[in-house]
Amino acid sequence: MEQNKEMTAQESLSLITETLNNSRKDILRSNAKYYMLWGALLTMFSLVVYVLWNSTGHAYWNTIWFALPLAGFPLEKLLAKRDDVVRSENVISRITGGIWLTFCVFACSVAIFDILCSSITKNPLVIIAVGTSLSAQIILLFGLAEAITGIALKNWIIKIAGFLTGIGGLALYYGIGLCEEQMFLFTFAGIVLFITGILVKRQYR
Amino acid sequence: MFPKLDPLLHSELRLAVISILAGVDEADFTYLKKQTGATSGNLSVQIDKLTAAGYITVEKGFKGKMPRTTCKITPAGQEAFKDYVDALKQYLNAKP
Repeated sequence: MEQNKEMTAQESLSLITETLNNSRKDILRSNAKYYMLWGALLTMFSLVVYVLWNSTGHAYWNTIWFALPLAGFPLEKLLAKRDDVVRSENVISRITGGIWLTFCVFACSVAIFDILCSSITKNPLVIIAVGTSLSAQIILLFGLAEAITGIALKNWIIKIAGFLTGIGGLALYYGIGLCEEQMFLFTFAGIVLFITGILVKRQYR
Repeated sequence: MFPKLDPLLHSELRLAVISILAGVDEADFTYLKKQTGATSGNLSVQIDKLTAAGYITVEKGFKGKMPRTTCKITPAGQEAFKDYVDALKQYLNAKP
């Protein structure tokens, strides 16, 4: 690229459009690795919880889930360090990043609230209601975050995956009931998130 | 009467740099070099010109042990970029 090249108005506008497009694609493509990271972690954690719950019969292994953000955020920081752009954000990446951060805060809050609620109350109905709805609430929140990500990225596959994981996951959850097999819903959600990363990478190639 | 195109932005490399910075919060020198395909020396000179005009700010720091130069567009730079694009549109719309 030369600094003194005489450009026509059309050439200037083309250069601006091309540069903006390239940098937009670059930013969104570089975000794909975060979906893949969280997808892999979600899959791994769900399988670990399933194995421990299944072998001991205790649901308290679910507390391991609280280690997921503790493992995920440092790894995310590590990946971000390798980026060329220091703060590579545009409107879309800011929206999708915000959606998933909100999901994380809501999911942790719901889990903490449900655990506190069922340990304080003596009402067996509340304990049952809380115990049987936690995974349902989280899978719905996950589906919502995934579907909105699909809308923001204008990607039909991600949109449909969001609805399938949220609503389909909820239906499956009530079919499975309160047992360790419900962890497979999160294994599926993790795989969906990992594939989302692959799709984002391909969309902005 | 057409508005005059900003001569500082009406240069291929400087326009590319300001276009990249208009789309991100900030970008480092390596990224700008990769995106524009310019040489380090040429890019440095153009960045200095944009900095002197108050269109961008340059911050020197470290990424681990490696030095890192970070560029960011200023509000004046955003305004100049917007005016430049508006002027280009007027030129193009006026074509028969």
